[in-house]
Amino acid sequence: MTRQAFIIARREFLERVRNKWFAIVTILGPIGMVAAIVLPAYLSVRSVQEGFHVQVLDQSERDVAGMMDIELDARGVAFRIEAVPPDTELAVLEGRIRDEKIDGYLIFPKDVLTGGKVMYRGDNATNMLVTKGLSSLVDFAIFRTRGKDMGLGELQITSLFQKVEFESKQTTGQGEATSGTASFVVGYAVMFVLYIAILLYGVAVLRSVIQEKNNRVVEIMVSSVRPISLMLGKVLGVGCVGLLQLTLWGLMAALIIGFREEVLGLFGIPGAGAFELPSLGAADFAIILIYFFLGYFFYAALYAAIGAMVNSEQEAQQAQTPVMLMLIIPVLCVQIVAGDPRGGVAEVLTQIPFASPVLMPMRYLLDAVSTAEILMSIGILLVSLIGAVVLAAKVYRVGILSYGKKPSFREVWSWIRS
Amino acid sequence: MASPEFSLRVRNITKQYGDFVAVGELSFDAPRGVVYGLLGPNGAGKTTTLRMINNIIMPDTGSIELLGRLKPGPQAAKHIGYLPEERGLYPKMKVRETLAFFAALRGLGRKACHKQADLWLERLKLADWHNNNVQDLSKGMQQKVQFAAALIHDPELLILDEPWSGLDPINAEVLKDIVSAQKDAGKTILFSTHLMEQAEHLCDNVCIMAKGRKAVEGRLDVLKREAAAEGLVMLAFRSSEDEARARTDVLTQPMVESVRDERDGLLVQLAEGEESDKLLSELVAANLGIRRFERQQASLHQIFVSRVGAMADAEQEGRLAND
Repeated sequence: MTRQAFIIARREFLERVRNKWFAIVTILGPIGMVAAIVLPAYLSVRSVQEGFHVQVLDQSERDVAGMMDIELDARGVAFRIEAVPPDTELAVLEGRIRDEKIDGYLIFPKDVLTGGKVMYRGDNATNMLVTKGLSSLVDFAIFRTRGKDMGLGELQITSLFQKVEFESKQTTGQGEATSGTASFVVGYAVMFVLYIAILLYGVAVLRSVIQEKNNRVVEIMVSSVRPISLMLGKVLGVGCVGLLQLTLWGLMAALIIGFREEVLGLFGIPGAGAFELPSLGAADFAIILIYFFLGYFFYAALYAAIGAMVNSEQEAQQAQTPVMLMLIIPVLCVQIVAGDPRGGVAEVLTQIPFASPVLMPMRYLLDAVSTAEILMSIGILLVSLIGAVVLAAKVYRVGILSYGKKPSFREVWSWIRS
Repeated sequence: MASPEFSLRVRNITKQYGDFVAVGELSFDAPRGVVYGLLGPNGAGKTTTLRMINNIIMPDTGSIELLGRLKPGPQAAKHIGYLPEERGLYPKMKVRETLAFFAALRGLGRKACHKQADLWLERLKLADWHNNNVQDLSKGMQQKVQFAAALIHDPELLILDEPWSGLDPINAEVLKDIVSAQKDAGKTILFSTHLMEQAEHLCDNVCIMAKGRKAVEGRLDVLKREAAAEGLVMLAFRSSEDEARARTDVLTQPMVESVRDERDGLLVQLAEGEESDKLLSELVAANLGIRRFERQQASLHQIFVSRVGAMADAEQEGRLAND
């Protein structure tokens, strides 16, 4: 890269970092992170306190509903269960839901003890915690009733259904085991931040190219420097802003996680700090930043080419769809990688250059990847990145000076071949 | 740098877009230290030519030699100042930084960049605005910043594309002064325009283009003299009777091709091969009271119209012949 590319990078960097939006977003980011930790804890505390009001229409004539009173707290969700006379009209119950007097109602059919289907109707049936909680409450009540019918005593029944403690931790045999949920949360958060950052800064490059084209400064630029220097300088400058922002966020996140009990305490949520989070070390941050920068460079080059092809942001909306898809597809595959981080699909996905920047750091955080795999994926990403830059530079060189009609695919192809 | 005889030599450059010839087989030379005008109507290929000289686009064929040794490119750009027709700056960049940025791109060191920026801000009376964003400036002030951006690295060759379009009268003067100062400092200035009056006042040399091709090229004074020899005379008489008599008796003779009323007299075009002395002796012989008899230098405008017109006619004939 030439000295001129660095002069251009410096300009892009300073203009962005000095912009007030940079400060605002950099500060608001961690506030969002705090909200992400505090809000779920806060909400779960609230719903436990308030609970859901559910009425039971018991047609079994065996008072199964009465058996439910014993254990009301299920899966962290509180329920207030209340039996209604068996001859209550469904319309009446529906009316109570409509008037928000109750959240929902359960119907135990006559044959509920011999396989009849229990039904729940409520305004919160989309909530997984509610349906799972209710389902386990119903299970418990029916098992107890059946137990009684078999002639078991209260003690035997209690012993039969005593809660089994169960704990799962993530390990691949290389390092210490961590809480499975926590590993997933952190891995997922990192994946998401990378996706957002690459998209955000890629689009920033796109917009910068269009702006330069629209205010015509590009003509002076191209008369002074090679188009590839202009493109690389721009991509590098914007990328450094991204690196700076991610580093700042990382530091703030480390601070917040370090002091999370105090932070949660400020919001009056005691004990929620016991929620276990795996700590991120220097190596983790290094991997995250490396993949961000390589992934960003790969996508930013493509975005620069698209910016050069179009004349307005409206046109860019359409033209960037293929690149967006390349970035979104790996995000959609996140469950596959998280579900089986050492599986064949995950191994292949994290070698594909347009997917690895988003997915590999997550796999790395789940401790499911060997050094050889990482080196190979970085190598593949680097080679593809150079390819993308060469390709983009060709489109960019011709595109930035063409105004008016959006070029057809054939024209773009001829630019690439020239 | 050794001083080459020519700041710019353009040899047979052609640029085609599909079947459309934007510039065809164009050649011209700009000697060092002259003000060179690239003239022509809209669509003549002036901007395309200047873009090729500035390495923004590449000619399909032909060659361009800058300052005796350089090809168009970043190396040559260090010695060229360029003001494009479509002007633009970074709106959110501070004025002083903008100038320093362009200076750095054209090869100046860090310290020199800021020194030059301050010098130009002072010279163009923009010093009070150095810390404002470009977008905060009035359009006229932005234009001045643009001039400064083109000149900040003290270029050997200054290239201006339609520099007067969109300028207010004050900035037009500023630009004229800049051009004169550059010329006095021994620099070469190449500019394109379709405004013949501006060109006539400033140019030493011109190249007139039409439809991508060269119509005529040379030193402006020589071109004017040649055109004068083609027989244009400005006549004025003592009284209107004299004028009326001249119109009926003398100016109807075959040696006069046409007579046109001008504000300060009659502009007489002699027929080809006729000398103005002959007209004068005829007038004297007719005993007319003559107030003015002046062989006219053709204006650049007239040269332009006759040359470009001749080209259009030739093309028309060519097309008819082909049909």
